[in-house]
Amino acid sequence: MNGFDIHACDDWLTCQLKSLDTVHAASAVVRKQEMWLEVVSGLDSIAVQFDPARITPVEAINLFREHLSKPQTSRGTLAAPITIPICYEEEFAPDRQWIAQKMGLTVEALIEWHSALQCTVTMLGFMPGFAYLQCGEDVTEIGRLPKPRQQVSAGSIGIIGNQSCIYSFNSPGGWPIVGRTPFTLFDPAKDEPALLSANQNISFRSISRSEFDAISRELSR
Amino acid sequence: MTLTVVKPGLQTTLQGAPYLGHRHLGMPAAGAADCLSLALANHLVGNAPDAIAVEITLDDVKLTVRHPIALALTGAAEFLRVGDEDRALHALVYAKPGDEIHIGPATQGCRSYLAVSGQIKALSLLGGGSTYLVAGLGGFKGRALQADDVIECKQAAISETTGKNTPDGLRPIISDRFIMRVTIGPELSSLSLDSQKMIFEKNCQVGARTNRMGLNLQGLALDQEDGSQMHSAPVFPGTIQCPPDGEPFLLGPDAQTTGGYPRIAQVIRADRHLIGQLHPGSEIQLVPVSNERATEIYRQKLSLLTPWLGAMSLW
Repeated sequence: MNGFDIHACDDWLTCQLKSLDTVHAASAVVRKQEMWLEVVSGLDSIAVQFDPARITPVEAINLFREHLSKPQTSRGTLAAPITIPICYEEEFAPDRQWIAQKMGLTVEALIEWHSALQCTVTMLGFMPGFAYLQCGEDVTEIGRLPKPRQQVSAGSIGIIGNQSCIYSFNSPGGWPIVGRTPFTLFDPAKDEPALLSANQNISFRSISRSEFDAISRELSR
Repeated sequence: MTLTVVKPGLQTTLQGAPYLGHRHLGMPAAGAADCLSLALANHLVGNAPDAIAVEITLDDVKLTVRHPIALALTGAAEFLRVGDEDRALHALVYAKPGDEIHIGPATQGCRSYLAVSGQIKALSLLGGGSTYLVAGLGGFKGRALQADDVIECKQAAISETTGKNTPDGLRPIISDRFIMRVTIGPELSSLSLDSQKMIFEKNCQVGARTNRMGLNLQGLALDQEDGSQMHSAPVFPGTIQCPPDGEPFLLGPDAQTTGGYPRIAQVIRADRHLIGQLHPGSEIQLVPVSNERATEIYRQKLSLLTPWLGAMSLW
């Protein structure tokens, strides 16, 4: 199979890839081709959707393979690194107490630790602009909440193991929450509606409640 | 021109074309759950097949009009009443100022589409206007319609023609039992061999946890041979996933863009409009077809529809 592990359904196909880096490189190459209706990355795979009135699944597999075989000179245009301000105050961080306890830290030390993490956006998914982040160290003590919350506020920062996430809309959710950013993760009025993009490097900055309010006010003007 | 909501029903939203090309940002397709009924309704009033219409779910709905309008209703509704008169589904119908439009509940199937001549005003979103309920985007204020909401519509010129009906052969059969053709999903082999056979031999029923995002399928109790957790991977409307509890679910138009459960099958594009007619209790038989056959079926279906509807696609 020319080295690619491809499975096709009638209007999309998926290709298993070795690593997240390969996924990001492949999606940058494939996205340049116009015939794909959608190019979606997973954590270790990439899928493209096509119009079966125009190409058959077999033709799609051949084209896709051709596209992936192209010399991958660039890794796509990588979005500039971004610093996300996070307010870790208790009202925005319902789980900070038990997370700190499980990690054997004080709340202050937890905030210091989390705000110093260097992260990469692995993918956007779940909801528009919702970002999955991979952050350096693995913290096995922190798992999914046993019972998902009915309502998690937009901007909430979740953490599970070595992953963090940022909620883009108010929604139900099962990630333990350590803080909240005043940034808008998805603004459909913008040319680039999602604030973050796959493979982007992220750092955090701890902010006070008053700075959170100031940024919120600024953004809503 | 306006439509005023008198009785909003269970979940009535503005839906037209799906959002395309934004799944990598986490933006789902949304759009009409039954794109075929949408296209048929739009055609009768002279709109593009994927123009925005009113999508009605199960319950009956009442609206009033203040200006003369041309309208058409397709889908699951038991009846259509305009003013004091019973009118047919799948027909071009006129309403006069002050008329109440009463759309009957679904006796079989789930969704109906009310198209009106002209352009229904929706919140503009990524080049479209369909409602995406979960994030409160698009459509009418991003939400389902409520009593007293006023839907605005850019009026199209009405030239009264009579007798415009959907040809009999093109009217979809609305039922509580569907055969859905599927292709094999990438992780079908994560099921035990018995389960891999069972999903195509035993019928399943749509469960109560059913909405535009997805529907749970009962009566199969599948075994997962390979319990290893897979990584989050792309999913699409029509994907059937199987979580560890062995009760698969079928993704609908508002499905999230990635999922972490084995993708065991994919409803073929030609049959995906049927998902919009499923409700709790609907019976489904999944029938496997090859990709080649699925492509053939899709192209045949389009060639049947295009003489009436013009160039179009299903989604």
